[in-house]
Amino acid sequence: MTIFTHILATTAVVQAMHLRDPKQIALAYLFGVAVDIDHVVKAPFYLRAIGLRDKRGYYWRSSLQEPVAFLWILPLSLLLGTVVPLVCFAVHLLMDYSVCYEKMPFYPYSRYVTRGWLLGIPDRRKEAVLASALVAANLALWWVHR
Amino acid sequence: MKRTVERIGRPLLHFLHLRLGLTPNQVSWIAFGCSAAAAVTIGSGRLGLGLIFMAVGQIFDGLDGAIAREFGLTSVEGHRLDTILDRASEGLIFLAFAVAGLAPFRLVFLAIVAVLLLTTICDRSKLDPGAKRFALYAGYWVPFPILFEVIFSVNLAAYIIGLLRIDCELQVRMDRLGGDLDTVASRVLAHEAAEAAVLSSGAVRSSHPHAELRVPDETRVAPTPMKAMPSSQADR
Repeated sequence: MTIFTHILATTAVVQAMHLRDPKQIALAYLFGVAVDIDHVVKAPFYLRAIGLRDKRGYYWRSSLQEPVAFLWILPLSLLLGTVVPLVCFAVHLLMDYSVCYEKMPFYPYSRYVTRGWLLGIPDRRKEAVLASALVAANLALWWVHR
Repeated sequence: MKRTVERIGRPLLHFLHLRLGLTPNQVSWIAFGCSAAAAVTIGSGRLGLGLIFMAVGQIFDGLDGAIAREFGLTSVEGHRLDTILDRASEGLIFLAFAVAGLAPFRLVFLAIVAVLLLTTICDRSKLDPGAKRFALYAGYWVPFPILFEVIFSVNLAAYIIGLLRIDCELQVRMDRLGGDLDTVASRVLAHEAAEAAVLSSGAVRSSHPHAELRVPDETRVAPTPMKAMPSSQADR
């Protein structure tokens, strides 16, 4: 999913969970949006292998935004005493796994590869429907909480 | 640094192995015994004596590997035993601090979890900051709860960086294999095929038990044709 949709989803989570503490909100965006920073880490590999062309199927995800990351996010959430990182990361994962790029959910413990779920629906349609739903949800939540 | 210490301590290594007949595994068990004694002592409230036991245990812990290297006794089993006993020692000592009321159980538990997580990958990531028992000596100046938070944070950060490092190494190897860059699955399979080819051709792993295989050029997999993509991908 694009960063725009992740921001919309995280904003909806922030509103739905009534998060007011700036630290909690920062954690929400860190684990809901900023985990995508691993694409920056993988960017040099992409440039070396593909160049400046658009080749979207290239594997440029990392363990940072795969289910295996729950192994470190769970203890971190216990230390911080909040479920915000877990919830926002789970939402991020659910969205990413609805896009049919290949993913390695348990690497380095397993080399299992999956394309995720909802494979029968075109990615662009999924993204458009979800983004529209999230805009509506955000407006509704704002209206309720104002 | 490690080699320098070993050179200085060589007479001690010779005394332990040649005069006393101790094997590296036996030294590992002695180190664990000292750590268990440290845990009991700390748990019963005698912190100073406990830290002395812990220090003796750490010295023996360093000597087992040194004896193994000095006398050519390194083995996968020895490395595994050393790792298991190290983690068990840390677990016991950390829990002793919680039993003695020097740190909350929650922090101690999280520190143990972080150390164990790092252990699962550190042989592959080659990244271990070593901030485990050693940090506890600072307890005379820094409150123990803060030290356990530091142990947790450092080990968890090393785990996250290690995961990224392993991931990048796989990416480099997959990219070297070439083939269809559109599917991860085909490239992982190609990589596994190359590994299998290396193994069947009698290639040897490096001395480290978890070291990755070096894939020679001639075993690289030829580019594979593009797989048929599901219809949902057509509009990506």
